[in-house]
Amino acid sequence: TEEEDASSNVPVYDKVVELLNQASLLQKDSERVGLLKQVQELITFKDANLLDNFFDEMIAFQSDRSPEVRKFVIDFMEEACKKDPDLLTKTMPILQHLMNDENVNVQKRVILTIPSVYKTLILWLAKSKLPTAEMTQVWDIMVMLKNSLFDMLDSENDGIRTFSVKSCEGIVLTLSRRSEDSEIPKSAKSDVSLDSIPENSKYLKVNKLEEEGRKLFDALLKFEASPHISSINLITVMTSLSNIAKQRPVHFGRVVQAFEALHVNLPPTLSRSQVSSVRKNLKMHMLSLLKHKHSQDYLSNITTLLTDLGATQSEVLKVMPKIDESKKRKR
Amino acid sequence: MDDFRIAVVCSSNQNRSMEAHSCLSKKGFNVRSFGTGNQVKLPGPAPNMPNIYDFSTTYDEMYKDLMRKDSNLYKQNGILHMLDRNRRIKPNPERFQACHDVFDVIVSCEERVYDQIVEDLESRDKSESHPVHIINIDIQDNHEEATIGALLIRDLITTLSSCDDIDNEIDEIIQEFEHSSNRTILHTVMFL
Repeated sequence: TEEEDASSNVPVYDKVVELLNQASLLQKDSERVGLLKQVQELITFKDANLLDNFFDEMIAFQSDRSPEVRKFVIDFMEEACKKDPDLLTKTMPILQHLMNDENVNVQKRVILTIPSVYKTLILWLAKSKLPTAEMTQVWDIMVMLKNSLFDMLDSENDGIRTFSVKSCEGIVLTLSRRSEDSEIPKSAKSDVSLDSIPENSKYLKVNKLEEEGRKLFDALLKFEASPHISSINLITVMTSLSNIAKQRPVHFGRVVQAFEALHVNLPPTLSRSQVSSVRKNLKMHMLSLLKHKHSQDYLSNITTLLTDLGATQSEVLKVMPKIDESKKRKR
Repeated sequence: MDDFRIAVVCSSNQNRSMEAHSCLSKKGFNVRSFGTGNQVKLPGPAPNMPNIYDFSTTYDEMYKDLMRKDSNLYKQNGILHMLDRNRRIKPNPERFQACHDVFDVIVSCEERVYDQIVEDLESRDKSESHPVHIINIDIQDNHEEATIGALLIRDLITTLSSCDDIDNEIDEIIQEFEHSSNRTILHTVMFL
């Protein structure tokens, strides 16, 4: 049957070759992306054996003149590594290169892909029996990328800062432990976090990683409290902190505190309508924190803040956890 | 222009969002329109007697229904004219909460609609890999205001679509737009 499989692969193989040839000839950016997406579909999702065969041809498009094509290559590599983590060794140097792309939208695509690639990398290393030189090389590049990400929280570019915050959120979630009352979104159910890595892992020092995660969380809190933060940065970091609080309740109290402090000390640089947008966002996050099982120790802080933000009693009561029921659940 | 995906949203996907939909698609933008209400409401013979339809009812069916009910009234108050315009753009109104397509910018026409959009997006299961900007411009729900509002939305979208780095420039663009249009704008970003 192996022979049969091989022969049935021939048409797909030919099809891929043909699509790749066409893609290199087409002038229109969106058409090249369209063809490459078809190739991705064939080699990643339909027949994984082909992925190895054509990976090099695909990543050659990293130097395409179109930013859209380069962005596609980043997405492709992210998905490919999920299927075959060995491809990280080829992917990481390219990500490092594209992090400094001349086009800011390509840079932002790299920034957003880091948390996902990081998860793949952590899982790959956690499973490995014996560290190899290649693994070390990949790890070192990731360390550099994470350092750049951290520096980018201070970028001149508002959008770069926004995207960096979002990525830092993802890394904080990976570099921390889930607890019983973690509320994990459906799409993140199978994501790796520190509790799923064996303490005796040959490669990963769980304690050190946890420390790094805490530092990055502190950096986000500091970012949120920066006096001249832009409206869009503030809204993004508020969402990130709220997500972290709900998924890692160990941080719940500090996030509530940070939101309280923000409320009494909004950046003076915000315009009146930006203040409205920020307050509206804050109210939404406070309601969603109130809904969380872990809110019981912070009920008065949260409800006071919500009242100040103009929430009605019925809005508050609607999401307030039923204390008796949760006690029953504990028993 | 095709890459820049826009949604305009009001309550019933009839007047304000459709006026903007029409205005933006004439300019060649990749635009779709929606309503966030539970049902589609159109004015009836009295303020407490609206005509209520399901989102799946086509504009054409509504047109014929109102023709049958009172063609004079609905001709006079412009509802038939509006439905006729709408049925030339797309078959039926669409509910925002039922659409999971990706947009770059979502413009709402009323604060309550903006809140419903944000609430709905917040509750979705997200891959968090794509930023979407949600912007509210208050527009009163009548024919004249819808026309003025659509032109404002067109101007804002034209500016946003022409910038190379929207995530960096949008705060400033919106502030300038607030000054020039003398309106208060709500704005947030979410990663979907």
